Amino acid sequence: MSDATLTSPAVEPVVQPEPPRPHDAGSLISMRNIWKTYEMGSEKVHALHGVSFDIPKGEYIAIIGPSGSGKSTLMNLIGCLDTPSQGEYWLNAKNVSEMDDDELARIRNQEVGFVFQTFNLLARATALHNVELPLIYGGVSSAQRHEMAKKALAAVDLTDRMMHRPNELSGGQRQRVAIARALVNHPSILLADEPTGALDSRTSMEIMDLFERLHSEGNTIIVVTHEPDVAARAHRVVSIRDGLIEKDEKSR
Amino acid sequence: MKFIETLKLAIAAIWAHKLRSALTLLGMIIGVTAFVVVVSLIQGFNRYIDEKIAGIGSKSFTVQRFNFEDFKDLDSIAAAQRRNKELTLDDLEYLRARATLIDKIGAKARASRSLVKRESKFAEDVPVDGSMAVIAEIDNTNIAEGRFFTESENDAAMRVAFIGMDVANALFPAGASTAIGQEISIAGLPYRVIGIAEAKGTVFGIPQDNFITLPLKTYGNNFGGFTRNRLLYFQATSKTDDTFVDAVDEARFLLRARRRLKAEEKDNFGIVTPDAITGFRDRLLGPTYIVAIAVPGIALLVGAIVIMNIMLVSVTERTKEIGVRKSLGARQMDILKQFLVEAVTLSAIGGGIGVLLAWIIGTILTAIFFPTYLSIGAILFTVFVSGGIGVAAGVFPAWKAARLDPIEALRSD
Ligand SMILES: Nc1ncnc2c1ncn2[C@@H]1O[C@H](COP(=O)(O)OP(=O)(O)O)[C@@H](O)[C@H]1O
Ligand SMILES: [Mg+2]
Repeated sequence: MSDATLTSPAVEPVVQPEPPRPHDAGSLISMRNIWKTYEMGSEKVHALHGVSFDIPKGEYIAIIGPSGSGKSTLMNLIGCLDTPSQGEYWLNAKNVSEMDDDELARIRNQEVGFVFQTFNLLARATALHNVELPLIYGGVSSAQRHEMAKKALAAVDLTDRMMHRPNELSGGQRQRVAIARALVNHPSILLADEPTGALDSRTSMEIMDLFERLHSEGNTIIVVTHEPDVAARAHRVVSIRDGLIEKDEKSR
Repeated sequence: MKFIETLKLAIAAIWAHKLRSALTLLGMIIGVTAFVVVVSLIQGFNRYIDEKIAGIGSKSFTVQRFNFEDFKDLDSIAAAQRRNKELTLDDLEYLRARATLIDKIGAKARASRSLVKRESKFAEDVPVDGSMAVIAEIDNTNIAEGRFFTESENDAAMRVAFIGMDVANALFPAGASTAIGQEISIAGLPYRVIGIAEAKGTVFGIPQDNFITLPLKTYGNNFGGFTRNRLLYFQATSKTDDTFVDAVDEARFLLRARRRLKAEEKDNFGIVTPDAITGFRDRLLGPTYIVAIAVPGIALLVGAIVIMNIMLVSVTERTKEIGVRKSLGARQMDILKQFLVEAVTLSAIGGGIGVLLAWIIGTILTAIFFPTYLSIGAILFTVFVSGGIGVAAGVFPAWKAARLDPIEALRSD
């Protein structure tokens, strides 16, 4: 990246890494001046305007902000579902911004576990098969796959629902299947984009309890939310507004 | 992702839309069935001719009044009728006395149709022909019951008959074996049955076992001589396979000499060799092959387009699924393979069903009409072509699926 782009944001982010260094070798995630620009016909929409931050291993972070502020865009970049228009992204000391499609797929498979607001389970497949999917693409043998998927489902208390299809499960159970799927490959980070957005408050609290437990077991967790209750559970809260980091504070 | 996983996925996806898959495959199935039926008819015909030639023996040839070439058009038929003289038994003796390369030679006379009776049983329009005893050896005639007649029975113009299995069954309902030694009436005269030929079934719907063969001399005496539709022709074998061509040339040379033909004059007789038969067959089948490939080819093309269309629909319907798979680490190649294997599996199933249907139709055809034959090679070729159609039909939709942006795909509903 040239120096020009580093100084270009109109609004200075509250947290700016200084002095600008290639990346923080000790961090799990290290983002430097990340831009994401969408072209809508002739108009350019900047979803992210030069975001920089570091996340060490084992942290539990909430990303909050109003709708349209760029939370999902940032999550998709962290999860390697998308690539930045500009900037550098280092994950586990590897420069993701320079990776090709297959390498990104491998990162999604091995390093990242994604939990979506709408679960995104395959409707036709059983809970067990849904959880096995990442392992299939990881080339794990079928016997080993079964074992790992069963263990992951047991970890979210769904042993007795393994052979059920998503439409035979409650919303909370579906999200637990999705979490089991996200964790089955033992990824470096668990990413959750409004994981409780489609759940009632009681079920939401159950899911958050589960996240807390997973964090205490050593998982790195990043949760996007606009619910204060959910954000309050995290140990660090990053606020985003208009594609920029507004606040970044440790809450515990 | 392992191939077996991809295949399982493809079968599950096809099975999930059973009716749609079946309708999609209709075009493929019709195309493949038509193709394989035509191929098995052609192969059956080829085999039939090959067997015929093998039965006659590759060393055997026929000398007759007309040549194949004489039947090209009406003019050449008329010209040949003026020029070509009938063959006589003297011609036969001439050849027999002078030819050095011929092993066996005998005469037959073309059949005429007659009413055949025995007590209250009868058969109408049975082809009755005459033949020398040696013809049974030249033709490798297979005998089911009794025997063929001898040369001395021929010389004595005895009223004995060698009959086909259909005639035997029509006249002797108690069983063909009861026919031997019995008397039957052919065109009003009594004959004794001395042998029955082995059954050969039907060819092009024409029964091969509806015939009676009499000693040549008996036939000549009782049916009005070897004229009109009862013309004589000769069958001969060469002494060895190697001298076959020379034996044919020698026979031609001798007959031309006997008929005092000048060097520039065409033969005024015909010699038919197995080569001439296969040549005739190939000329007959040439255009058939083209039709056989072209007509089902169109059905296959339509089938391919239908498969491509349904794969495109499937990719659109499953955009979300593709997004989910990509978010979990599926590479472009994994998605490409998933849809390509699905298309290939789909069309291979169509091909398989088509081959199966064609085999059933072929079996029925063999039973009632004509011997068909389906070689392993033809089956493999068809399955291979079906798979190829699947690849051709699936590659574009699969490529589209593989190229989908994961986020866009996840967002779709
Ligand atoms: N594919 C896209 N094309 C165009 N604009 C987009 C696209 N995705 C997101 N945006 C825009 O980027 C901004 C941030 O969106 P998003 O990250 O989804 O916000 P959030 O998740 O915080 O609600 C919004 O203004 C949105 O309209
Ligand atoms: Mg969002």
